[in-house]
Amino acid sequence: MHDTFEVFVEYGPLLLEGLYETVLLTLAGALCAFMAAMVLHAAAASPWRPLRAVVRLYTELILGLPILVLLYCIYFAGPGFGLRLSAVASGLLTLTLYYSPYMAEAIRAAVAAIPSGQIEAGQTVGMGPFAVARRIVLPQAGALALPALVGLLIGLAKDTAILSIVSVKELSYMTKQVVSRSFMPFEVWAGVALIYWVCLSTLDLAMRRLERHLTRHRRLAP
Amino acid sequence: MFRGELFLEAVGPIAGAAIVTAELTVAAGLIGLAAGALAAMAQIGGGWGGALAGRVYVSLMRGTPLYVQLLVVYFGLAFAGLSSQAFLAAALAIGLNSGAYCAEILRAGILAIPPGQIEAAQAIGMGRLRIWQRVVLPQAFIASLPPLTAELTIVLKSTPLASVVAVTEITYTGVLIQSRNYSAIEVFAVVALAYIAMAQVLLRGSRALERRFRPFRA
Repeated sequence: MHDTFEVFVEYGPLLLEGLYETVLLTLAGALCAFMAAMVLHAAAASPWRPLRAVVRLYTELILGLPILVLLYCIYFAGPGFGLRLSAVASGLLTLTLYYSPYMAEAIRAAVAAIPSGQIEAGQTVGMGPFAVARRIVLPQAGALALPALVGLLIGLAKDTAILSIVSVKELSYMTKQVVSRSFMPFEVWAGVALIYWVCLSTLDLAMRRLERHLTRHRRLAP
Repeated sequence: MFRGELFLEAVGPIAGAAIVTAELTVAAGLIGLAAGALAAMAQIGGGWGGALAGRVYVSLMRGTPLYVQLLVVYFGLAFAGLSSQAFLAAALAIGLNSGAYCAEILRAGILAIPPGQIEAAQAIGMGRLRIWQRVVLPQAFIASLPPLTAELTIVLKSTPLASVVAVTEITYTGVLIQSRNYSAIEVFAVVALAYIAMAQVLLRGSRALERRFRPFRA
């Protein structure tokens, strides 16, 4: 027990460096995936049929594919297609490609939940499509989509650990380095699991408070 | 660029590895269902101690990456004297992870059972365990079947992680083949198709299962 503590003191800075990288990857991955999801959402509503078919096919493909296989496809098979990416870029592309269809579905469900009468009413009073989106759809759909998006964000944060397999230098990768130097695999991995747990629980809690904040109008209504 | 003969060469070994993936999916699915049922029972009928234990279990499993859980279990088994038990470690880790999600699903199914049924069972003299076994769990299981089968698909999609501890399932076999003859494109095409096919089989199977149990649904 004492030895374990010493290992974490000695290699603390290394793990902290990895944790910082994990946080950055999570933020960047979530941002890219969310933007890609907006594009997918717009493309799925396109009047042009082939584009809609492509989006459907892509979504089906991703839903059936494990994320690790997608990562390997990009990292190992990518160069064969002339796609030579660094480990970090492969990782970010994987997170983006994998999570965007799920996020697009969360966005679609939230937008579909807004009564069409509200949008028609907005148009009737002379609002343009952007005003309708900004004033009627977004404020409500944002709050509606949030629980599902938070679930996906936490899933994405957890899946950054997989990127250590292609040697992205995040927390799990640094843990492997510590294990190879300290020869205490079980204790070190268990300790790192605890670090993940504290960080992810905090993220979950913070997001739930944000959600309460965004939906406060529903509780304040008489 | 795409060499058909390498594609065909990979089909045989990967079809063989698909059996290991199927075994791992079934083993982890069963462990998950058992762990989920126990955790749900502890949370609802286990007093405050059971409720706390159940909640800590669910929180730990949902709050840490499966990759890290797998390594903790793998090295934990080695720590306990069971070294190099890759398949066991993978089945346990994926199963216990899935169990947390199964617990949430089953808890909702259990809470949806009308209390009158449980009171009726008590009134005719059934004991607590018998009520769980004959009244609560069967109905909760059938009512939760659609989300449970969706969870099994997630289990299938988690099995590639077992390649990390060198279980020779589909993904690890694919990595081994492509490192031998530089056929990444062809091999991962086979690997991806194998998972998509298995997910389809699972989808069809679970629909048949749901149809089979529909007459018993309240």
